[in-house]
Amino acid sequence: MNVISRGVKNALRSPMRSGAIILMLAISIGLILSMLVARSSVDSQIEDVKSTAGTSITISPAGIMGFAGGGDPLTSDQLTTIKDTTHIASTTATLSDQMESTDTNLTASLELGSFGARQQRFSDSNTTNDAAESNNTEAASSRPTPTPRTTVTGTTDQNSVSTDGSDLNITSGESIDGSSNNLIALIGTTLATKNNLTVGSTFTAYEKTITVNGIFETGNKFQDSGIVMPLATVQDLTGQVGSVNSIVATIDSSDNVDSTVTALKAALGDKADITSQAEQAATSVSSLESISALALAGVIGATIAGAVIVLLAMIMIVRERRREIGVIKAIGGTNAKIITQFVTEALALTIIGSIIGLSLGVLVSGPMTNSLVSSQSSKTSTAQTSFGGEGQKPSGMVKGGMDQIGNNLTQVTSSLKPSAFAAAIGITFIIAIIGSAAPAWFIARIRPAEVLRTE
Amino acid sequence: MLVVKNLSKSFNSASGNVTALDNINMRVNKGEFASIIGKSGSGKSTLLSMLGALDIPTSGSVEVDKVDIAKLSASQQTNYRARKIGFIFQYYNLIPNLTALENVMLALEFGGMPSKLRKSRATELLSDVGLEPEEQLRKPSRLSGGQQQRVAIARALANKPAIILADEPTGNLDSETGKKIFNLLHKLSRTKDVTILAVTHDMDIAGKTDRTFKLKDGKVTV
Repeated sequence: MNVISRGVKNALRSPMRSGAIILMLAISIGLILSMLVARSSVDSQIEDVKSTAGTSITISPAGIMGFAGGGDPLTSDQLTTIKDTTHIASTTATLSDQMESTDTNLTASLELGSFGARQQRFSDSNTTNDAAESNNTEAASSRPTPTPRTTVTGTTDQNSVSTDGSDLNITSGESIDGSSNNLIALIGTTLATKNNLTVGSTFTAYEKTITVNGIFETGNKFQDSGIVMPLATVQDLTGQVGSVNSIVATIDSSDNVDSTVTALKAALGDKADITSQAEQAATSVSSLESISALALAGVIGATIAGAVIVLLAMIMIVRERRREIGVIKAIGGTNAKIITQFVTEALALTIIGSIIGLSLGVLVSGPMTNSLVSSQSSKTSTAQTSFGGEGQKPSGMVKGGMDQIGNNLTQVTSSLKPSAFAAAIGITFIIAIIGSAAPAWFIARIRPAEVLRTE
Repeated sequence: MLVVKNLSKSFNSASGNVTALDNINMRVNKGEFASIIGKSGSGKSTLLSMLGALDIPTSGSVEVDKVDIAKLSASQQTNYRARKIGFIFQYYNLIPNLTALENVMLALEFGGMPSKLRKSRATELLSDVGLEPEEQLRKPSRLSGGQQQRVAIARALANKPAIILADEPTGNLDSETGKKIFNLLHKLSRTKDVTILAVTHDMDIAGKTDRTFKLKDGKVTV
């Protein structure tokens, strides 16, 4: 029987008390592990959100949002400026137009409704004669009936039309080359059905014959009633060579977003509005970051609690066995041997507690992470609904990105990584060391002569 | 042989400097069984702790086989206690969660005996003091007072000490058992040629020892 086995034996000397200490330790160690798991899961999710959504920015001509507002489209010079800005990894440019029934032989599949009608009241009234100004009632009645229109999107990347951030879903046919100026198009599924178009069909637009290259479906009624063509084709057809009305640029690293936005604002001046998803992502991620901070506080709190439990238990045990320690010293036990024996005892309690605690932690870390995140993400989703606005092009694209961020927020899945497990075990040993350091000091101070005191 | 010269010990307490031992001189020969008597507060326990290298005197020397144990460092004192001194206490002071055998083996471990030899040596010692093999495997709580004191005596003898210090060895036992324990100690001092110094209240016992020291107010009054 040596000093180590005496320590282990002593740990189980009083089953009731040891059981209580082990149980308390197990709870705090379980808490440490689940907090570490929650923290690492949330942290990796923050990284994901920042790296996927955080690097893209949308540049629109100043004053224009979709088909609303006023101003000049961005020019090819400005597009070159944007492309040449440092840290810009790639750009997707789009030019949108709306075709009236006079521009095309297609029947629009989008109902005009009261919203569409209201949008057209100014543009069409411009064509009415000046005499109408004298009588408003007369002028109103003299306007032509508003007609539904079909949206044409010219883009360098067809996937920019997708509303959910993923690749455009082509249900039949093939994708189009965004860099060409061929007279080809992808037709939204609603529009295709309405006009009985299939792959290979042709239709007329801007007095040219366009071939249907494919049919796409986004699930968004506005997009599914539209046409997608290569950017240069739309620029040629509409006589706006070089013009674009939206650019989505991807920045090489999320760290460079702020500086790049600043550089672009300086280069483009008041000609363009820049929307950075990183800014939006930062607000969404802030709730995840608070969970991460909360989890860290939990780890620290549980570590302190665990250390205090072992510390108090060991101090209590040392005080109780004061006489016994004096006897061992009197018969020749060295301080080192006695301290080793008590540290072994503290370690034995901690190890048993940690085995139970870690298994407990493995069981509860998943549900705990999920409940932490779901309660927080409900807050962020309400904050997001104010953003996105009307389902028109540039905002639609940002909304797609934001939906992706929203998905990321709710997709925090707890994964027990070896690093979290190793950290928990490391912390456990810190607890045992702190917990037995003070008792060691008490042991060293006990004088062997005390055993001669009569009781 | 134990030689104490001009031994003094004083403490600083709240009520000022207290002299517990005042210029004590005594001598006990090898194999002798001596007793120290005195009222409580006379300094018996303080003297015992000086003789047992549990505490350091203020002045004077304690020589055991020509080594002044008062001049040893704390770790040398510990080593000295383990190998040269055996203690027997009034309340036995056995380790409660170790068996009788393990208690004796613990002293052997501190004395530096190789682990393989400890068990047979402990068994032999316990048989010498009259403990049955079955009793040797019991924990102290399942042994009578007399049996526990026998285990304590075996533990004290474990490392063949030069001197055994006993603090009221029969003080917690009935007179019959006390007599048996005294006889055992007396026999051991003869057979093992070990010096025994016992503190006692019992004048009956003190009268039967080879030599008696009377302690009063920190001084030896023969």
